[in-house]
This record gives sequence, C-alpha cells and structure tokens, in this order.
Amino acid sequence: MSYDRNSRRDFLRKLACVAAGGGTAAMIPQLRMIGNALANTQALTGYRALVCVYLSGGNDGWNMVVPYDTARYNVYAAARSGVYTTGGANPNTGGLGLAQPAAGNSQIITDGNDASSATNQYFLHPSVPELATLYKANHLALAVNVGTLVKPINKTDYNASAANRPPQLFSHSDQEDLWHQANTSTGTTKGWGGMCGDVVGSSNTNQQLSSCISIAGANRFEIGMSTVPYQMSSGGLASLSGVCNPEPCSGISSTSIRDNALKGLLTDTYASDFDSEYARVFQRGRDLANLLSAGLSGIQVPSFPANNSLASQLQMVAKMIKLSKAQGYAQRQIYYVRYGGFDLHAGLMSGNGNHGQLLTQVSQALSAFYTALGTGTNGVNAQNEVTLFTASEFGRTLQSNGSGSDHGWGSVQMVLGGAVNGGKLYSNGGGPITGFPDQSLTATNNFSRGQMIPGIGVEQYAATLAQWLGVTNASDLNTIFPNLAGFGSTNLGFV
Amino acid sequence: MKKTRKFLAGALLVALGVPAAQASVQDRVFANHFEVITDLPANASEAARFLTQATFGPVQSDINRVMLVGYSEWLDEQFAVPVTLSEPQVELVVTTRTNATPSQGSGPAQRVNRWLWQAAYAPDQVRQRMAYALSQIFVVSDQSTAISNDIIPMAAYQDLLARDAFAVYRNLLKDVTFNPTMGKFLSTFHNQKANCSAPNVCTTLPDENYAREVMQLFSIGLIELDLDGTPMGGILTPTYDQTVITHTAKIFTGFTYSDAPTNPANFGGGGNTLAAQYAPMACWGSELFALSNGNMRHDITGDDGTANSNKTVLDGNTVAPNQSCANDVSDELDIINEHPNVAPFISKQLIQRFVTSNPSPAYVARVATVFEDNGQGVRGDLGDVFKAILLDTEARNPPALASGDTYGKLREPILRLTAMWRAFGAVAPAQDQYHEVSMLGGMSFQSAFGQSPLEAPTVFNFYSPDYEQEGTLADAGKVAPEFEILTEASSYSTANTYYQFTQNAYIGMTSPKTDRPLIDLSSLTVNSGNSAALVATINAKMLYGSMSANMQSRLQSMVDNLAGVTAQEIAWSAIYIAMLSPEYATQR
Repeated sequence: MSYDRNSRRDFLRKLACVAAGGGTAAMIPQLRMIGNALANTQALTGYRALVCVYLSGGNDGWNMVVPYDTARYNVYAAARSGVYTTGGANPNTGGLGLAQPAAGNSQIITDGNDASSATNQYFLHPSVPELATLYKANHLALAVNVGTLVKPINKTDYNASAANRPPQLFSHSDQEDLWHQANTSTGTTKGWGGMCGDVVGSSNTNQQLSSCISIAGANRFEIGMSTVPYQMSSGGLASLSGVCNPEPCSGISSTSIRDNALKGLLTDTYASDFDSEYARVFQRGRDLANLLSAGLSGIQVPSFPANNSLASQLQMVAKMIKLSKAQGYAQRQIYYVRYGGFDLHAGLMSGNGNHGQLLTQVSQALSAFYTALGTGTNGVNAQNEVTLFTASEFGRTLQSNGSGSDHGWGSVQMVLGGAVNGGKLYSNGGGPITGFPDQSLTATNNFSRGQMIPGIGVEQYAATLAQWLGVTNASDLNTIFPNLAGFGSTNLGFV
Repeated sequence: MKKTRKFLAGALLVALGVPAAQASVQDRVFANHFEVITDLPANASEAARFLTQATFGPVQSDINRVMLVGYSEWLDEQFAVPVTLSEPQVELVVTTRTNATPSQGSGPAQRVNRWLWQAAYAPDQVRQRMAYALSQIFVVSDQSTAISNDIIPMAAYQDLLARDAFAVYRNLLKDVTFNPTMGKFLSTFHNQKANCSAPNVCTTLPDENYAREVMQLFSIGLIELDLDGTPMGGILTPTYDQTVITHTAKIFTGFTYSDAPTNPANFGGGGNTLAAQYAPMACWGSELFALSNGNMRHDITGDDGTANSNKTVLDGNTVAPNQSCANDVSDELDIINEHPNVAPFISKQLIQRFVTSNPSPAYVARVATVFEDNGQGVRGDLGDVFKAILLDTEARNPPALASGDTYGKLREPILRLTAMWRAFGAVAPAQDQYHEVSMLGGMSFQSAFGQSPLEAPTVFNFYSPDYEQEGTLADAGKVAPEFEILTEASSYSTANTYYQFTQNAYIGMTSPKTDRPLIDLSSLTVNSGNSAALVATINAKMLYGSMSANMQSRLQSMVDNLAGVTAQEIAWSAIYIAMLSPEYATQR
C-alpha cells in the first residue's frame, strides 16, 4: 500500500516543515498538492459526472434480474424456497421467488452480450417497469455478480486460506467500507470516488467547490487524499438564522454584528482539534452557501416523483449538475446519494417497506433522473455526460429464512446513462467464476444458502467507471485500486 | 445487595448537625466511622464540567450538591432516585388523542416530546443519560417500517433501558433480547425453526439477523480485543465466522407476543393489548409444546440438523439440543456474556458517550476491569462501570489544553440543546388537552440534527464508534464518532433549530410560543449593559468556566456592539452565538 496512513502522515510532516508552522488554513494549498501529485493526466475538458446510488442494507439483487428460460428459472425458484404465493390451496408465504412472467411480458429482457436465445432471456422485478424501458433503450446495463474480492477466486481458493477472502464478509459496516474503498484493506479511510476526485478535480475551474458532493452526508466513498466532499441536503441550501445570507450584510445591524461574531469564532485558531474541525466544517458550509445559494435557487429541473427520498436527492444532483455546468464551476464531479431499508431479513415479499416497494421508488427515481438530464423543458442536457451506478454492501442469501433473506455476497448492480453500453448483462470479469451464476444451492460457486462468490471484483466495476470519468493513467488506477492488477479485466466495457 | 452500602449521607449530615463543607476534604458519618470525602470538586466549574459529562446539563442545584457531597456520593444519590418512565405518559397522550373528537393521530413526536421532557427535567438525570447512551448501543429505531408505528412500545423500550441502566449487563442483554420492539426491529419476532424435509435438507433456515447483531453490536464486536480495547495481540482476529452465525440463529427462534393464543394455537396472533405489545416475548419452544407438536416453533436441533448434536456457537462453546427455548437463550446469553470482549467493547463505547472519543487504552482497561468484577464478584455491574468511567482520573483531570489537543469529544447536537435549556431554566409549556407537553416546537430533530432518540437510520446508530473525520483528527489517528453527523448542511439545520429555541423561545417574548420550552433570560438581561459580566454568566452556565479569552473577547465585542437593541435580543444573541461556537460544540 503506497497510500496508507503512515505514508500520508510522513508526507504531511514534510509539508509541515515547508509550511513553517502555519495552521490548518495555511496547509490547505499544500494539501491540494497531494492530489496534484496523484494526478498525472492532461487537463480534462468538457463535463462528466459519476453518480453513486448507494442502496443501504444489502439489496437482494437476485430478485432484480432473474433468468427467464425454464431450466434456469426452475433452479432459481427452488433456491429461493419456492415462488411467493399467498392464495390457493398451498400458499407459500416463506418463498422468495418471483413468478415467471408470461411470454411477451414487458419485464422480459434480452442480454445483448449473449447471442444464444436459450440463455439470453431474463426478467426484471415487476416493480421496475421504468428500468425495463431504460434497459431496452440501451441506457441501462446490469453488472452481474459483483462483490468484494481480494483477487479472483473460486470456492477452493476461498477454503484454502483466509488471506484469499475479504475481511468480515457478511458484516454490513465492513462490507460497505470495502465497497466504498474498492479494495479490501482494513487500514484505510479513503474511498475510490474521493481518490478519483484527487485526480480529476484539479481540472475543475472552481477549486472552492469540491469535486465530490454528497446529498447523503458523510461517506467514505468520497474521501480522497486531498478531497473532502461537500455535503448538502436534498432540500438545497438553507439560510442561516440570525446572521447574514449571503455574507457580508450591507450596513451595520444586529444581524451583521452577530454574523461578525460567528465568523470570528469559526475562523479563529483553536488548540483543540475537535474545535478546529467543527469550525472548519461549519465555515466551509458558510463559504459554499455564499458561493452557491443565489445561483442554485434559480435552477429549475423537470419534476421528480413526490414522497421518494431517493428522487429528492437525485433532483438536487440534477440541479447541482445544471448549476455547475451553467456557472462553469467544474469539468468533473462525483455525487453520492443513499437509499436505505434493503436489509430485509423479514418482509422481503410483503408488508410495509418490502423489496418491491423499495424497487418501485428506485425505478421511478432513476427514470426521473435520466429524463431530467435530457433536453426537455428545464432539462439539464447532460444525458451523455452523466453516468449513474448503484452499489450495495452485499447481495443476499437465495434461500429464505421464512420471511426474508440473510446477508450474502455477490450481487447485481445497475449502470445508467447515455454513455452506457446498455441493454446488456456484464458478468465476465476474467476470473474463475464467470457468467450469470448457477443458482443451485449445491453449486460450487456459492455457499449452502446461496451466498454467491463474486465473479467481478468491486475494483473492476469501479475502475471501469473511473476510466470513463477520466482516470486513465495506469499508475493512478493502480494507486486508487491497488488490487486491480490481480484481476483479469481492468475495464468491463459497460461505459 | 451491595447497593445497601449506599445511602443518603447528606440527610444524615443535616440530622447530626455536621457543618457544611468548608474545605475540599470533609468528614461525614459513614457506617459507624468517619469517611473522608476525597472527591469534592475544587470549584463550581469542575462540578459543572462533571455534570456536563454525566447529565443532560448542569443546573445550579446539582452543582451545589456535588460540591457538598462529592462526585461518588452524588452518583450514589442519583442511582437511588426512582426511575422516571416514558410509557405511562406516552400511553395517556396517545390514547387521549385517539379517543378525542375528532380523533387525533399520533406519531414519533408524541414519544420524543416525552423523551425531551425527561431529558430536561427528570430528577434521575444520570439514569436518563445512561439510558440514552445505552440506546445508542442497543439500538432500535422507528426509522424501520417494522416498528415505525409502535409509539407506545418504543416508549416502553426507553423505560427498559432506564430501568436496567445500572443493573448488571447480563440482565440488560436478556431484557433487550426478549423485548418485542427489538424483536421486530431485528426480526427475532416470528423467527422460526428451519423447515426441513430431512436433516439439513431445508427449504428455509432461521433468520440470522439477531444472531449476528447481538454479537457484532451489543456485546463483543468483530475483532478479538484485549482488556484495554485494542486488538488482541495487535492482530485483527475475527470473533466468529458465518458458521457460528448459522448455528446461533437457531437459538433465537420461536418468539411471538406473550398473549399469542396457544389453544387453539396461533403463533401469528396476540398483541391484543398495549401491555402485550411491550411485554417480554413468549417463545414457542418445548416449554409450551411437546417437541413433536407442530406448533413448536423453536429450533431444537444441533449442527447436523438433528436433536442428536449440539449447537456449536461462539468460540466453540456448545448449547445442548432438545432444550426449551428459555434454556437455549439463557445458555447463549451466558456464553456471550462471558466473552472477554464484552468488558472492553461496552466500556469503551460508554466512555466515548460521556467523556472522550479517544480514551487511553489504560483508561479503557481500568473501566473494563470494573466491568469484569466490581470488587464484589459481580460481572457487568453497569452502575459501578458508570462510576468507574466518570470518576477515573482521565475523566476528572484532563490534560492541559495545548495545540493539537484531541481530548474530549464533539457534543451531540441534542445534548447541546438540553444543556442550554437546563442552563437557562427553560420552562416547559403546560400540558395540552391531550395531556401532552410539547417540547419539539414542531421540528424534527432527526432531520435537523441527524439525531433523535430511538430514531437512528439503522441498528448501526447515528454514528460509528470508529468513525474517523478526515483532516487533522484522522491524520492524528483519532476517531470522532459524532462528526459523522456534522456536515455543512447539518451545521445549518442544527443552528436554525437552536435559533428557534432561543430567539423564538424566551419568557417575556411577544406572543410566547406554546409548543416549546421558554428560556429565562434574566440572568443575562440583568447585565445587558455589562458585557464582561454577561459573558461571564455564559461562560459559567454553558462552558463550565472553560471559555477561552479569545471567545470571551468575541462575545463581549458582540454584546458591546449590540448596545441599542433590547436587553432580550442581547441575551438571546449571546446564547445563540455561544451555542454555535466551537468551544460549546465540543466538551473536554
């Protein structure tokens, strides 16, 4: 690891000597140099953005896309403890299987990467009609059996040595960290989005606005060596009560007097690092509100579904993209949104907040976002410049626990955008496990409850996206994705 | 039993005419001999600092009492205060609203209003604060659709934590495990034995959720620890693997409502009364039905899927097959309770909630030692653990403040609010027609602060105990859990909420609000023309005398420059800006 904490601390120590006793503020220009040292690219022109949609809790991807041919469908249905049914003589409320749709159903899709009509038919969950439409229009691709991996392995490798396995499989928090990092190190706090930001962000015209923007609060994904995300809310930028918005106020008033006191307190030097860090976050919020508020309030985008928190977040992303392009703030941006509730140990198929309800929200939000990026009234006009992708800490057991599914491993992710080579399943990472996985619970590519050994590493999935964004230098890629060289393919080709 | 050694010595002092403390050492009667109080705070600031750590905020009467009897005795007095309960009051409010004409709906606000009232006013401050800390370890949350409408049962869960706050850990773990709100949140409720056609040939296996999280989050964590909370031997050794989870999942099967009918049996029934909705779950194991009975829902099999093998669980320990559910759960919780990780894992997180984000390993070890044995052979006495945390030299004697300091923590946004209320004698509104005391002012702390009681996003709480904030803190290798909910956006929404509780919530304001407490500005308005005195009051009430000269200067200038506005505006401006200051946002 060339970028572990110690090496960074050493680097900072050297910088501190150069900075000759300057405080944190004095360090900021030097900190940015770390990013420049990583960046080895030409200045990037035009505009491109990645949007990470994190599905929190472990999305049951094996019910998002299901083999349609009878042979594989039957294997799927058996593994899922049968088709979920409530009526009839023999209801199966513990089953997690989706019913096989009739021929001609609009959820049936064809894998454009597979020429064999015997094996290239699948169907999408009945709750995602909008995604089926996007897939058929070749704007949506499916990355199949992606998961955390140290290197490509099969079950024999898994059993041979703990070193062949990612740490803390099946733990929410740990697997989420590894997804955000796109490596399996336990000694880092950096994410692949932030480290891409280190590389591509230096091209951005406005260096005050971070290349990484979160609409969902703190996240490891957007932490780079020098990149720290700007964290907004889906509600946009509020005014700060009792003080100046924006600063400075005109004239002297009680408002300006309070503002002056607050500004002083937030920009003073503190002995306590906790005090300093609090002040830095708050003041950065003030500085960026001063920069963005007026422009953002004037931005209009097409409508998004109501009562859909993912849609609200993506609406703010669309607004920020439109603003950033209009103001020329940025050439490259990385966004992070988050939607939860997927840890469906119980109530996967029925009840309040079940998987179908969640997927409906996802489908409608993603579809609205893609439409908003188009050229219609108030459109952002950036469909080909924005690539959205999903991530989630793990897939789930195929086998039912009587009401839901438990923690698994490899799963299915979605990639959406005008630049995406859609209408295809991407399931070949060049390792020992390839193709849409055999879903038999006795198959050697999974464990006894249908926890799938991934065929594609998160590194490969992420590196494909990073290259599209503009991280093309091999040394940059190998720095951000230290295990990538151990995988068969470094670009899966879906974008 | 051992609690009998603790009694209200203060009352005895008065009765026997012993003079009040004149110095930092004082004699008092104790069990037929004189005990020397060695832990009196040196001054009111130290007492206030202690109360900032141990309660929802210092008030003068508590400062006076701590200065009279010392830290340890004051905690004993607090432990003896009867528990203030949520459930009866929330039940009264919700049922009154339901029965009103027209009927009024209820939501989390009804529970949170009561919680905030208790935080601000309950006499068992330390117990309530400990319950809040425990609620961030033993998490349930109404953000889960499984329990989002269980307002009254969630209030009862809060009461469970308050009742057990200073009980033994093993008892708390049992009560949490059998609680139906936890059961629904982590899906032990209605979890059933495997459905198999032959041994280990099964179409369904038990839900693994609770088996995993009870170990990962409520007891031992993922990595083997030394007593001081650091990885055992400096190596990351997993505490269990997936096989252990699958075996342990069988333990936590068969749970349903305590009133689910057994004749004729209806496993999915019950919950017919409010009390049944929060009473400990029943387990349909062999204590209720013969093993061959189809209504037996508990998994009595062992690893090979028959009743001839043991369940092999944590660290190779075994639980016998063919047992009643109660015995299975009891055995399993005993095994978890005895794991050496429990003491450092729980102790360190509690230290982080009350004192400092980065306790020294030695501090963790000292507290964990008390956890393991309180000196009387009791393991997991949470009252003694709490005392060990608050009375430790690392809690009471912070290092001198110097550049690069990382002692202490970011204050939780909700605690910044409650401490302000208590500092300025906030008066709650009268009960409304539904017997509810409104504290929230119609706001949602979950969205404004990223934090609200029993409203975490997931079982992983509002923040991780291991969260590292990028920048100087992470570079120093320090964790900063509360920073996970501090963002540019939450800085604003938190401040704007505080504004509503200061500028828009004081006694004497025009059209006073009736949906939130009103603070008493008189301790400041009396000095509105004397900025030094006004700021000194802010310093004493909000910052336990720790305000830097620089901050004093900033606030004094503000007060001086505000001359000409009303005394009330000067006062709320000083409180509001102080609440947003870095020095109040943190504690040392």
